[in-house]
Amino acid sequence: MSAAGKKAIAAPGYGVVEWISTACRLATDRNDFRRNILVNLGLFAAGVWVARNLSDLDLMSPQPII
Amino acid sequence: MIQCLTFGMKGHCGCMGSVLAASSPTPPPAPGSGVVQGAPGLVSVPPGFSMPSVPPPSVPGQPAGETGSPLPNPGTYEECHRKCKEVFPIQMEGVRLVVNKGLSNHFQVSHTVTLSTLAESGYRFGATYVGTQQTGPAESFPVMVGDMDNTGSLNAQVIHQLTSAVRSKIAIQTQQHKFVNWQCDLEYRGDDFTSAVTLGNPDVLLGSGIIVAHYLQSISPALALGGELVYHRRPGEEGAVTSLMGRYTGNNYVATLTLGGAGAHATYYHRANDQLQLGVEFEGSMRTQETAVSFGYQLDLPKANLLFKGSVDSNWVVGAVLEKKLLPLPLSLALGAFLNQKKNTFQCGFNVTVG
Repeated sequence: MSAAGKKAIAAPGYGVVEWISTACRLATDRNDFRRNILVNLGLFAAGVWVARNLSDLDLMSPQPII
Repeated sequence: MIQCLTFGMKGHCGCMGSVLAASSPTPPPAPGSGVVQGAPGLVSVPPGFSMPSVPPPSVPGQPAGETGSPLPNPGTYEECHRKCKEVFPIQMEGVRLVVNKGLSNHFQVSHTVTLSTLAESGYRFGATYVGTQQTGPAESFPVMVGDMDNTGSLNAQVIHQLTSAVRSKIAIQTQQHKFVNWQCDLEYRGDDFTSAVTLGNPDVLLGSGIIVAHYLQSISPALALGGELVYHRRPGEEGAVTSLMGRYTGNNYVATLTLGGAGAHATYYHRANDQLQLGVEFEGSMRTQETAVSFGYQLDLPKANLLFKGSVDSNWVVGAVLEKKLLPLPLSLALGAFLNQKKNTFQCGFNVTVG
């Protein structure tokens, strides 16, 4: 197999690895504005989900008798 | 700046009588409400929270399109995010003693002594006058609120209902003898819309000032859409910022989104049950390249005369405020603490309200 062919087969692999490393760098870069927006939008969605599903709290209910 | 002036009057607007003053030391009620006599047990929704109107059943034989129920007034533009904001605790620092005294049904004075390490300690005298023109069960006009501290700095507001649909407000803030803020706004409430114009710090000689225009329209009983236009001008510079807002009101929740040149602001308010209210807020600014999310909750136990608010946000700030009424005394205690994990700072405060 020619060197150009080996390079063509290796290039997609390197592209995926490069994409993953870029994504990891974005996910851990706290100074990146896009990353912060995505993280905070996800937190907002999680907060809305918690708010909509937290309805069974009753602090004045009688204590269970064991 | 203009919003800060509106909310700068803490604990004055609408707090007439010992019952209201003891029941809600913070935050301030909606401006424009004169004598606000809460009636516990009468309403099951928080004040200012409007349920979508239920359309009347259609008469048999009549096409459904002809029985369209009128759309409700959507309220004011500033109130859209307020429901969620009120759930969050207010940061307290130092010690504050507030003594409220009602001298008559129309006049109330307050004395506030503040001891603080971060801000200046001092004394503040406040007075509230509510007029005799009653427009509703809990609203009387004109409302005049003012307070002055020991250095001579004055905050004053006059709110008056000019006609059944037009309300005006004038607000002034001075720092000792110098006028810092002065603004005038006019609000028109139609059947299914509200529009308001605010003129801030107008200076005819310098040719500077700020104009803010708001418009909010009910599209359906649950959906309201609106917009804001801010135009500012000073010598050598002028600019305008616009933003759009949408608010959806459900059975027990309110979702509001504001998008504009300054950024995005989204709030979600949810009333889980009679005791628990939750709020989630997202703020993002393109200019400062910053975003933040806050989650807050409010636990209300009227049987225990207790109100607890807590919050946590994406900047690693955790805060809580506990308010307790010491019945039968007309006394209310508030303890607050805020902890910033990232900056490793801690702040706590203690308030006592009498009357």
